[in-house]
Amino acid sequence: MPQFEQIEVFQSLIFWSVVSFALLFFLLKKYAFPPILQALEDRENKIRTEIGDAEKLKQEAQELKANLEAELKSTHEKAKTIVQLATSEAKKIQEKTLDETRAKNKQMQNEMEREIEISRNKLMGEVRGFTAALTIASTEKFLKKTMDDADRKRLTEESIEEVIKEMQQRQMN
Amino acid sequence: MENPLHHFELHPLVHLSLMGFDISINEGVVAMWVALAVVFGLFMLVVKNGVRLIPGKLQSVLEMALEFVRDMVEEFIGKEEAPKYFPFIVTLFFFILACNLIGMIPGSYTITSQLVVTGTFAGFIFVMTLFIGFSKHGLKFLSILVPPGVPKVMIPVMIPIEFISMLARPISLAVRLFANMTAGHTILFVLFSLSMSASLMVGWMPFGFTVIINGLELAIAFIQAYIFTILTCVYIGDVIHLH
Repeated sequence: MPQFEQIEVFQSLIFWSVVSFALLFFLLKKYAFPPILQALEDRENKIRTEIGDAEKLKQEAQELKANLEAELKSTHEKAKTIVQLATSEAKKIQEKTLDETRAKNKQMQNEMEREIEISRNKLMGEVRGFTAALTIASTEKFLKKTMDDADRKRLTEESIEEVIKEMQQRQMN
Repeated sequence: MENPLHHFELHPLVHLSLMGFDISINEGVVAMWVALAVVFGLFMLVVKNGVRLIPGKLQSVLEMALEFVRDMVEEFIGKEEAPKYFPFIVTLFFFILACNLIGMIPGSYTITSQLVVTGTFAGFIFVMTLFIGFSKHGLKFLSILVPPGVPKVMIPVMIPIEFISMLARPISLAVRLFANMTAGHTILFVLFSLSMSASLMVGWMPFGFTVIINGLELAIAFIQAYIFTILTCVYIGDVIHLH
């Protein structure tokens, strides 16, 4: 094999191998590796920093989300309470208005009843007077005699009672 | 057919001597320089274009290769010691890879098919590991010859075995790369010679194999550079951590 037979090239190959490798090592170490390795380190640092920032932001976002959710929940509860309060208030107002209306109606009814009672009493008085006169006149004519005061009064009272009874019966019917 | 090993012969192109030593420039030396220029040129192309935070294609490839080697160095040598040896290891990887790949170009020379070249690198690495071991641990470094957990009676037997095993490391490192490169190129030469000498009816078969073996050789160029580098890391890691 020429690799074993050509002993004369060994010195040259050993020398140039060492020199070439040493030269390449020196050149790469001085000019090529520093900027490339620096770039790699910078990128690693940047990625590490950005991942850290992203993690931080994620955590912040999660906290913010949790806060917002809690706030939303609290707002919902507040709104619910407000609606309940409003409903209860409205119910109270409604009941109050209803009571007032009822009371007013009752008062109006009472007033009306009183007025009716007054009118009725007045009317009954008038009826009583008219009936008395009518009864006396008709009785006098019927009996063709004059009655004394006591008969007149008794007769009048009886007539009035009859008339009133009749009227009440009619009213009930 | 021409001798398939003939193309491994070297012929001086420029005769030079230094202090009585022959340092003539031959095809192998030129191939080595081309490999050197290609590696340095590629790195400088990236550096000259400006190393960017968002890398281009070439920068990405080189960064990937650098990170690949760095991971390897950190794994076997350790994260603390790795930065000290990383430039040497990565230069070794790119230099051997470039020499292997340059040899794939028809008409060029595969300098890693010279045992004396692979032996020089392996020998240098072996001496370097001894130097690192003694400078780091002093005489305690010799404990590397006694594997942990070995019974005391076995120590006299184990020391020569471990010593031979240590000496075999640079030899295997050198021979592995040399043998792979030589064998691959010899097979390629034989197959190509067959396809050239045979008629077209038969010749297409060895030619087809030449194409397949060429692809395989391309993979072997990467694999052998990787193996040479990883074993260097293992040897350095061994002498740093002892056991």
